[in-house]
Amino acid sequence: MEQKIKNIIAKLQSPDITYADVRITFTDFEDITFINGNLRNYSSSKESPALGIRVLMDGCFGFAGSRDLSERSIEKMIKRAKLNATQGAKFLKERVSFPALKPTIAEYFHQPQIDPFKMPKQEKIDFLQKLADAIKPQGKIVHSYVSAEFECQEKYYANTEGSYSHTKVINTLPVMDVIAADGGQIQSRTWPGHMSAGRAGFELFNDQKFMQNTERIKKEAIDLLTAPVITEDRADIIIGGGHLALQLHESVGHATEADRIFGQEISYAGKTFVKPSMLGIFKYGSDILNIYSDSTDPRGMGYHPLDDEGVPGKKVDIIKDGILRDQQSSRHIAHKLGLQPSSNMKAAFADDFPLVRMTNLCIAPGKGNLNDLIQNTEHGYYLDFTKTWSIDDNRNNFQFTTEIGYKIKNGEIIGIVKEPTYFGITPQFWNACDAICGEEEWAYHSTFHCGKGEPGQIMRLSHGVAPARFKQINVSVKM
Amino acid sequence: MYKNLLYLKAALEKHPELKYEIEQSDWETDFLRFYHSQTNYNISKNTQSIGCSLHKGKRQYSFEIDSPDPAKIDTALSEALSIIDSLPEDPDFVDVEDDKTLAPLRNITNNIKAISLEQKTSILGSLAKSAAEYDFELFGTFICNYIQNRIINSNEVDKSSTQSPIYLEVKAVHTKNQVTVLETFGGEDFILFDLEKFRARLIDKIVHASNPVIDVEPGEYEVILAPRCLAEFCHYLSYGMRAHALDQHSSYFEDKLGQQVFPAAISITDDPSDTEMIGKDYSSSGHIYKSLPLIKNGVFKAFLCNQYYHHKLGLPKNGNEASCLKIATGKSSLENMIASLKKGLYISSLHYMNFINPRETSLTGLTRDGTFLIENGKITAVVNNLRFTERISRILENVTELEQEAYTIPFSDNYGSFSISTSKAPHAKLSSFNISSSTKTI
Repeated sequence: MEQKIKNIIAKLQSPDITYADVRITFTDFEDITFINGNLRNYSSSKESPALGIRVLMDGCFGFAGSRDLSERSIEKMIKRAKLNATQGAKFLKERVSFPALKPTIAEYFHQPQIDPFKMPKQEKIDFLQKLADAIKPQGKIVHSYVSAEFECQEKYYANTEGSYSHTKVINTLPVMDVIAADGGQIQSRTWPGHMSAGRAGFELFNDQKFMQNTERIKKEAIDLLTAPVITEDRADIIIGGGHLALQLHESVGHATEADRIFGQEISYAGKTFVKPSMLGIFKYGSDILNIYSDSTDPRGMGYHPLDDEGVPGKKVDIIKDGILRDQQSSRHIAHKLGLQPSSNMKAAFADDFPLVRMTNLCIAPGKGNLNDLIQNTEHGYYLDFTKTWSIDDNRNNFQFTTEIGYKIKNGEIIGIVKEPTYFGITPQFWNACDAICGEEEWAYHSTFHCGKGEPGQIMRLSHGVAPARFKQINVSVKM
Repeated sequence: MYKNLLYLKAALEKHPELKYEIEQSDWETDFLRFYHSQTNYNISKNTQSIGCSLHKGKRQYSFEIDSPDPAKIDTALSEALSIIDSLPEDPDFVDVEDDKTLAPLRNITNNIKAISLEQKTSILGSLAKSAAEYDFELFGTFICNYIQNRIINSNEVDKSSTQSPIYLEVKAVHTKNQVTVLETFGGEDFILFDLEKFRARLIDKIVHASNPVIDVEPGEYEVILAPRCLAEFCHYLSYGMRAHALDQHSSYFEDKLGQQVFPAAISITDDPSDTEMIGKDYSSSGHIYKSLPLIKNGVFKAFLCNQYYHHKLGLPKNGNEASCLKIATGKSSLENMIASLKKGLYISSLHYMNFINPRETSLTGLTRDGTFLIENGKITAVVNNLRFTERISRILENVTELEQEAYTIPFSDNYGSFSISTSKAPHAKLSSFNISSSTKTI
């Protein structure tokens, strides 16, 4: 395959092409789903091929992607990518600026503890059946769901500057949830929350203690049916890692994608309230807030030795001591902003075109453990396990509901509340952060499902966070 | 073009103990992304894939092959046969689809070939010139897809269908204050695209968007929902009409079949036969796709039900998937609806909606692409985007007027495969709509 991709690059080395890159991916995928204790789906795909060719000609990018890797198809794609660029250039006011980069050669092969594609199918089924049986509908539990998705992606990348990489990674997405019903109402509980994926194999089920938490989610779902709602208008809230990862994702991650500043995603994903003039001066959060994009950490799903424009993996401070310092950018946009590219250009599959994407976007740990933080909270709520999320197309006004809230009084959890909902404005919210837990609570939380772009792409990425506290947040929304 | 599908079929016929469903999909897109009234990317993509579900008694296994060939098919089938006997049973599975009704043949033009890149950029260039006169730039997408599908199964279902949806989404954004308005075209017949009418509608919105920008306080407002908003709320509502939602006790419509659930003015039909919309011949399992009243004069009439849930829940099977929702018109004109409002809001489009509790139809989301203040019967200001927290059931209960005309609204599904569908809806006037917070940004 190395030869194949280099042959394609050779065909793209011509004076009329300013720059070109080529990706080839082969993806294995497996999905096992149990509903109400019964196996409802076992599906797989093996070595799904994909090829993408991107060319920069006359100051405009053109792209062609296909799942057909035959020579005939490749010839057609080269022709089509070039036509797309040259035709696009006829409807252009500003040519794409794309400063050259020195070539990098890299490879990376991830080895999980338990490779789900080598593990016997029967063993996987037996484990998941046991889990599904443990949360099977009974009494007020009326629905249950257990699912495992496994993905292995081998990727080849090359560009006309001489960069080349070959990588192979395995990702796993384990999920379980139950629905409890009583009369007219339902409540749900999931484990381990919204961002349960990881750069890992089957060991993730043990690492995330699935079997140990079956009774907990059943009990909490039933208890939520009779739980009160938050009555205050404002409260101090501690946000658990799983949900804080999504808060970070929506209100910092997408907001600091620099393609949004220039309107490239207005049509679907939206804009951002962040402006280039804010860099270096804007107080995005409180002094204790440090947020970085780190594609050099192989523990997260955003790791890569090279991004999809040939930029080597990097750790970049996005927010330092509360101040906005940098952006997640492409080579073109970084040049426009006078920044160095941050190694955030990624395509989900090879037949997708690269977009500015989060990789491993993390909040640096603070100090102390979660118990200490709860004990140091006089009155408030500990919220976790995302239920609903929504943010405006400037990434400014958000509203989240979690499945459960744990009420804190005088440093102790004294009960639960259902559907705790909070909303806020992004900078005000992050400036209200007065405590972040330390290394001992810090962990990656990852997703298979970050949607962006048109045609749409679903990206795998990670967020490293520890629970954090936010003061006097608006919790007045009641249904 | 179906030689791989037929190869797999022939291989499966050697295993009479198996029931099977095979679907081949050939999908192609030509996708023009534009921003600041210029090209962002021209993208061409194509895929060919085969999906196969095997059933042995109540055991099931499925596989998908991209860019299939006989060797890949042999490998996938051999693996499937080696595992299927060891899988646990699904007691609720009874049979694969058995509906053999064929849809009338539709003459579908391949719009990727019919609408060239030159034509697309010419249309966009012309619209950009008009918008520039008002200091607006254009952002958006101009997409043509071409999809050929064939579904066959062990019950001798054999159905082929073709779609070629077009989706033009033009967002005009003010160069200084970022006020945005949206105009769209969707369908399969480009003859229905009238550039001058499209331009007139866009410019009309741009003119309204040139009003001053203000914030409004959260609270209850009388509102006029644009057709896109009404259609989107009805799409979300249709989640509860799915037999799947009923099965997991998360349906608003549980125990409501045949009951009056909304005012008599509300009628919603899943109708694939409207030639102004993107047609649909068959469901994803091959059932004929026919017009199905879902809400008639406010009465809930039917769950969307496939073969699986037909057997499991005993509901009538229809194969509908809420892909072609039509909301019935009323008797009002938009002008009169606006003129009748002393103080209220016009909402053009919605953004990032998510259910809080699907059984209660409670959700939150935001306005987007043009929210306007109406005072004394006239649009007087542009309003920064607003957050609402509402129940769809309450929204429909609060409909006091529906426009006499309906509009075709395209929607794209950006998760998973990129698909385009259309709905048809009129403007709706609501007596009350809960704005829960203001965004302070446009």
